[in-house]
Amino acid sequence: MADPFVHVDNVAKRWNGQLGVEGVSLSIPRGSFVALLGPSGCGKSTTLRLLSGLELPDEGTISIDGQNVTTAAPSERNLSMVFQSYALFPHLNVAENVVFGLKVRRVSAAERKEKLHRALEITGLLGYEARKPGELSGGQRQRVALARAIVANKPLCLMDEPLSNLDAKLRASVRKDIKKLQIDLGITVVYVTHDQTEAMSMADMVVLMKDGRIQQTGTPEDLYYRPANTFVAEFVGAPPMALIEGSALPGFGDTPTIGLRAESVRVAESGAGRLTCKVTECEFLGSETFIGLSHPAANGLTVSMPGLKHIPSGDDLEITFDDEDLHFFDAAGQRLARQVGAPAA
Amino acid sequence: MRALSRHIETLGALLLAVIWISPLVFAFWAAFHTTSDAVNFNVTAAWTLDNFRTAWDGAPWLRYFLNTFVLVTVILIGQFVITTLAGFAFAKVQFPGRDFVFILVLMQLFILPEVLIVENYAMVSRLGLFDSILGVGMPYMASAFGIFLMRQAFKGVPIELHEAARVEGCGWFGILWRVYVPLARPTYLAYALVSVSTHWNNFLWPLIVTNSPDTRPLTVGLSIFGAPENGVDISVISAATMMSVAPLLIAFLVFQRQFVQAFLRAGIK
Repeated sequence: MADPFVHVDNVAKRWNGQLGVEGVSLSIPRGSFVALLGPSGCGKSTTLRLLSGLELPDEGTISIDGQNVTTAAPSERNLSMVFQSYALFPHLNVAENVVFGLKVRRVSAAERKEKLHRALEITGLLGYEARKPGELSGGQRQRVALARAIVANKPLCLMDEPLSNLDAKLRASVRKDIKKLQIDLGITVVYVTHDQTEAMSMADMVVLMKDGRIQQTGTPEDLYYRPANTFVAEFVGAPPMALIEGSALPGFGDTPTIGLRAESVRVAESGAGRLTCKVTECEFLGSETFIGLSHPAANGLTVSMPGLKHIPSGDDLEITFDDEDLHFFDAAGQRLARQVGAPAA
Repeated sequence: MRALSRHIETLGALLLAVIWISPLVFAFWAAFHTTSDAVNFNVTAAWTLDNFRTAWDGAPWLRYFLNTFVLVTVILIGQFVITTLAGFAFAKVQFPGRDFVFILVLMQLFILPEVLIVENYAMVSRLGLFDSILGVGMPYMASAFGIFLMRQAFKGVPIELHEAARVEGCGWFGILWRVYVPLARPTYLAYALVSVSTHWNNFLWPLIVTNSPDTRPLTVGLSIFGAPENGVDISVISAATMMSVAPLLIAFLVFQRQFVQAFLRAGIK
């Protein structure tokens, strides 16, 4: 960790005075899978483009593998990239698309053939060499884009929302394929997504961004169990963390905001609950049902109940929870150290 | 009522088509008949190839064909090179004054080529290209229409393809050659069609700037062949005309479908 593979130091990029990204610092160890996560317009794609060299930063430095590449051209950074739209060349067939970069770099024909075969084998595309991108399904195109990214064996691969054009079922399987590929090849992947499930399930390290700034960098567990602020708390997890005004809970009056995850909430006997809420909706997911609750001092309260439950909306429901499951935030939304002597998770 | 109006439309279209094609049909008919039969519209007259023999012997047609072919090719190659580079610069390269320069180029579209004939003549003479095929082709190479067309075609190429090629290590020329040019193929085909037919038929400028049978294209050769001082023989002139238009006409008929598709795909009609 002392010598990170990719190091981004205090980088900023502004568009005609408008904010792109500001003060972004990142250290990415070799061989890790990093997800840049955030809502649209948060600067995650800009960060990726700064890494790739398609945009140059206004401030700060970027180094890859010990080389300062802040102003280097994309082709000098020894990386590959998968685009959201795949960016396959429509006039070239699958094989030509995959070896495009090798051809540009004048790799010998024999070596090209060997690398092509290997890349197509890994991505399961053998037999499709002569097809044009227009004759492939969305999932196959996505695999061609992956094959093109891995064929040259670049140590760093940047992916810009590569799964957003696939249907939900395919997305789950390709997610596993990409993760396996990254581990098998030992490459470093920086992966942009707005889908927190993708980020949490694939990444070793998640970088959550908002309005051009990094909100929190850490492992998926960190983000889930120790959100740095209320934005992270509300963004990560399905359903997101509920936020309750401290004054609504007896004994926590001096804490501005208290966070609570759905799995920590239990339905209580009438009269034994710590909060009394109204049921707003029931969301049945098969193994469990999420029951949305409303309370004048809380936002996003949800309780998870096993199996199929149906509670008419408008009914009162009392809930309870343990003190050690609570998260505390100050008035600015920043995380506070635990107040209630509970052991850190 | 509706059926009647539809019939009238069809009839009108047919009438226009007949009027439009009749000179060509008459020339075709006259080319294969003796002059008196042609002028008297003697429908039962015998067909003959004599006119073609007479016409063929009357002028160095092979030389003219070759000149026109070389001229059209030279112009097309020059246009492809210049319009590709200029179109790419206007579409994808940021440089100060780009829009202003582009408007200047577009202004060329408003100027009739005939207006520039004197100036072009002087320029070609200064360059020492008078009475040469290059001299005939030169003024048409930097075609404003072609530059505009290529710019539009290149603008339609998704920026991701450009970026993907950059990441893969392509320089400006590599990107142009490997990404933009192949993707603009329908536009090139459509433009080539317009260019070849225009310059195959171009007359006034080659007439002025050529002086000898060695450089004269078909159109000029034909007009000299058919000039009144050589005696007017409708049938022989028709035969010569048929010979001149045949290559282009046959090419059009053979590649008709590809041409129409190219135009549709290039988005111009």
